[in-house]
Parts: sequence; structure tokens; C-alpha cells
Amino acid sequence: MSAAVAAAEVMSSRPLRVLKVAVLLGLLVGVPPLVDSPYITTVFIAALMFGLFGAIYDLMIGYAGLTNFGYAGFIAAGAYGSALASFHYGISPWLGLLIGGLCGGLMGFLTGVITLRLRGLYLGLTTWFVAEALRFTIANTPDYTRGVLGLAVDPFPDLLGIDFSRGNLLTHYYLLVALGALIMLAMWLLVRSKIGLAFRAIREDQLATESLGLNATKYKLINFTVACFLTGVLGSFYAHYLGILSPTPEEFGVPRTVEILTVCYVGGRGTLFGSLFAGFLLIGFQEYFRELEAWRLVMYGALLILVMLFAPKGLAGLKKYVW
Amino acid sequence: MDPSLLADPAILSELIFQGLVRGAMYALMGIGLSLIFGILGVVNFAHGEFFMLGTYAMYYVSAVLGLPFLAGIAAAAMMLFVVGVLIERGLIEPLRKRAGRDWLLDSFVLTIGLMVILQNLALLGFGSRRRGITTMIEGSLTFGDVVITYERLAILALAVVIVGLLAAYIKLTDTGKAIRATAQHPEAAQTLGIDINRIYTIAFGIGAALAGAAGALLISIFPAFPNVGYQPVLKSFAVVILGGLGNIPGAIAGGFVLGIVEAYAIFFMSAGWQSVITPLIIVLVLIFRPQGLFSAQGERP
Repeated sequence: MSAAVAAAEVMSSRPLRVLKVAVLLGLLVGVPPLVDSPYITTVFIAALMFGLFGAIYDLMIGYAGLTNFGYAGFIAAGAYGSALASFHYGISPWLGLLIGGLCGGLMGFLTGVITLRLRGLYLGLTTWFVAEALRFTIANTPDYTRGVLGLAVDPFPDLLGIDFSRGNLLTHYYLLVALGALIMLAMWLLVRSKIGLAFRAIREDQLATESLGLNATKYKLINFTVACFLTGVLGSFYAHYLGILSPTPEEFGVPRTVEILTVCYVGGRGTLFGSLFAGFLLIGFQEYFRELEAWRLVMYGALLILVMLFAPKGLAGLKKYVW
Repeated sequence: MDPSLLADPAILSELIFQGLVRGAMYALMGIGLSLIFGILGVVNFAHGEFFMLGTYAMYYVSAVLGLPFLAGIAAAAMMLFVVGVLIERGLIEPLRKRAGRDWLLDSFVLTIGLMVILQNLALLGFGSRRRGITTMIEGSLTFGDVVITYERLAILALAVVIVGLLAAYIKLTDTGKAIRATAQHPEAAQTLGIDINRIYTIAFGIGAALAGAAGALLISIFPAFPNVGYQPVLKSFAVVILGGLGNIPGAIAGGFVLGIVEAYAIFFMSAGWQSVITPLIIVLVLIFRPQGLFSAQGERP
């Protein structure tokens, strides 16, 4: 037995794995309050948010082979759904998390009903059209959504005596950690259930799966609706955390979708947790090199191509050396 | 808004003509997309960036070097053919060797990466300033109340010529026959001694060249800037769905249908809403006729 294999076995032993998970969770929870810098906390929020969006994207593409090229539009549905509910009707942003989820989920369900019976790329293209239609509708209805002028969004009200005013970054961070934990747990349970098994069977061979009597369209629709619901919940958090929404392409258009797609592919498809690492890696990298500007997106594009050509497993390809 | 304007013959014919010019662009772009999808099975998201490079080629050849417009269009088409060939050989062929079953999704993602790179390199290289040519050809024709500029007439005529040349090439030449054979059945074509890798490269190059020619042709409407390809590519994907994926005659028909519908939409609604109309039409088509408006009934999309 070579030394490398022995090392890999030690690295993947059970106690060591528990230790590694504990250390990572410790870093996730402990670093922002210990460093106590608003800047670091903002970066952690952005990294975790991108990581979570990437993980949800992975639920669709990595587990059921569903492409969503209008992903940013589903974030917009959740963000605007919740923000408008509180802006026009005074509904609490806490309830808004659910409203955002329902908006995203409904948009996902309807798009899915139309396109999931067709070949895969119809879903990718139609989500793109639907997302752009939503973005332009928002831009064209300034009376209701304030359009490109920007919609000011209420912050979360205090809950159980905890202060959620906008300046309080740490509470927002822990709220996101809690939401993220719930989202990851829900997705993890889903992909390990019988339904999750059906997802993977469809991804491997739809024809064979259908011939065994499974309704592939139904399972794809479940997958897509759940993913869009979770996206909407996070979109709602995004709206109330950020405080202002505007239907720009950078915020809710193709560039945003490409960023999340890159996080997912770099993290590794079909892993769920890989995207979290990729989120921290990519956001960290782009924060470290602030002066990148347009080069940032060039880098994202190059990463996508490199992953496609040379490392289809993404970061997950490194798993056997470190996990 | 007065509904009687709808029936006014002058407005009607003016809008139809405008729609035909738009449609010519969508058709050129849509044919390229359909060709690339039909032969290589690649959903090419970088198609709008080929259009964008075409507008820059036209701008530098015509406005900066002062050469005639036809030279600009030819230069754009040739440059994009070379770019297409390099991309196919450099990126898509290696991916084809690796991807296998995941080809459709993986190639789609590869072209997304390509789109982002080309767009932002253009931004870094040329800046965000719009560089256009306001008029290519002076003068206009008048029939009663209907005014048709020579320029739009020329755009339409050139688009028809380009499509005609392409059709002749695919129908009559040996390479054209090989392209058709590969589209029908790649393995069988290979058995008959066709070098299908060469056909893939040529098809991708032709598709890119068509997008470049479309960009060059429409420079008076779409000036060169890094994001100029976005609306054209969005619309041409719509056209391809309208016509049926991979169906080239369908893409031509779909292009003109969408062009005319949009010309009406722009005239009768405020400009921002036209970007909502197109997706709406597509969603309706997908619900009621997912195989496309112009494909044979019964084909499963």
C-alpha cells in the first residue's frame, strides 16, 4: 500500500471527519464575531449567500440535470415578492421569508409544468425568457415596484428581543447561518430520500427510469419547485438584508446567474456542500482582488470553461485528498 | 392609442417592412443557431457575442478604414468564420472528447463561459462607448404614404442574398452534402468516409460567420458596444423555438414572424414592453405547440 493511499485512509477515517466538520462549523460561526470587523462580516454574508444559491442550483442541475438559465429571476421573484408585500401591505418581513419562497416556488412550478415534459434545454431557455420578462415587467411598472429607481425595503423587525436593524451585521449573519442550515438540511434529507433516488435515476437514464414505471416529469417538477421555493426564501432574506432592490442585469439578470452557475460548477455538481466551499473561495478571491472589475467576470467565464474541459468534478475532485 | 391606426394601410405596410428588416436579422442569427445545434448539438450562448464582434469588424473596416460597406460585411463574416473555427477546434472539440452523455448541458455551460469572456474582454478592450454608423446609404423610395429607405431595402436584400448563398452551398457542394448527411446521422456519415470532425468545425464556423454578417449588416440599428449581442441572441433563441429547434427553414420563417410581431408591439406599446411580449409568445408556443410552429406535427421535442 502506497503512502498516498494510507494518508487518504487516515484523512477519511470517521473521527477525523467529525473533527473536520466541527472545525469548519467552528470557523463559520466563530470567525465573524472574533474578527469583529463589519467588512469581514459582509464578506462572510456574501460568500455564504452565494454558496447557498450555488447549492440550491446544484440540487437542480447536479441531482436531476435541470438547467435554469434564469436563476437570478427566481431570486428576484422572492426578493420583490417579500419586499412588495411589506412595502404595500405592511406584511412582516418574517412572514415575507415564506411569501418570497411561495413566489419563487410558484414561478418555478408554472415554468416547470410548461417545459419539463420537453427536452432539457427547453427548461434552460424558458427560465431565461421568463426571468427576463419578470425583470422587464419590474422595470416597466415604476408605480408599483419603483422600477429602476430602486425599491427601498424595510429591515427585519426585532424578534424575541434581538435587534435586526440594518447596521447589526452579526445578527443578519447568524440569521443567514440558521436559514442556510435549514436549507441544507432540507436538501440533504430530500436527496437521501426515495425521491432523491428517483432524481438520480432520472439524471442517469430517463428512459430506463420511466420504463420502470416512475413518472420522470413528476419528480423533476418536485425537484424544480422545491429548489425555486428555497431560492425565493433566500431572495427574501437578500431583499431585507440589502435594503434596496433594482432590476439591473448585475443584480437579477444573466451576470448574476452566471456567477451562481460558476459557484455550483466550481464546487462540483451533485455534491450540495461543494458549492459552499466554492462560494467562500470565489467571493474571497474577488474581495482580495478588488480592482478586478470586468476581469472578475472574465475570470468566472474562464473558470467555467476550465472546469468543463479539465475538472468536471470541480472542487469535489479534491475530496479524496482532504476529506 | 387609436385602434383605427391598425388598419391604416400606410402604417400597416411601414410596420410590415420594419418587421421584415428585423426579421432578416433574427433569421440570420436563428439559422446560425439552428445549424450549430442541428450539427453539433451545441446550444450556443456565445452567439450574441459573435454578432457583437461583427459590429466591431464593420465599424473598423467601414468607418475607420473607410472601405465600402460590402467589404465590411465580408470582413465581419470572414473574421467570425475564423473565430468560430478556432473556438470549435480549441474548446468544443476537446470537450466533445470528454463529455459524452452530458454533452448537451456541458457544451451549453462552456458557451456561457465563452459569452462572459468575450463580452468582458470587449468591454476592457473597446470600452463601453457606442460606435455606430448612422447611415450606410442615403435616400428612400416613396409609394404614396409609405417611405422605405434604401438602407433598409439593402439590408433586407443582402440578408436574402446571404441566405440564398448558404442554401446553394448546402444543397449543391460536396461539403454541403456532407453537412446534411452529418445532421441526419453522424455515425452513418462517418462510415461513408465523411470526416465529421471537419464538418463540425465548418458548421460552427458558418454559424459564427452568419452571426457576424448579421451584426455588420445591422450596424446602423445596433451600434457596436460590448453588450450589443444580448437582445439579438435572446430574440434568436425565441426564433429558434418558434421555428422548432434545429429546423433551418423554420428559423427563417420564425425570424420574420417575430420581426413583424415586434414591429407592431413597439408601435402600439411603450418600448419597454416589447421585451415582455417575446417571452410571452414563446411561453404560449411551448404550451400549445412545443415542436415549433413550423415543424411537422407529431415530432416529440
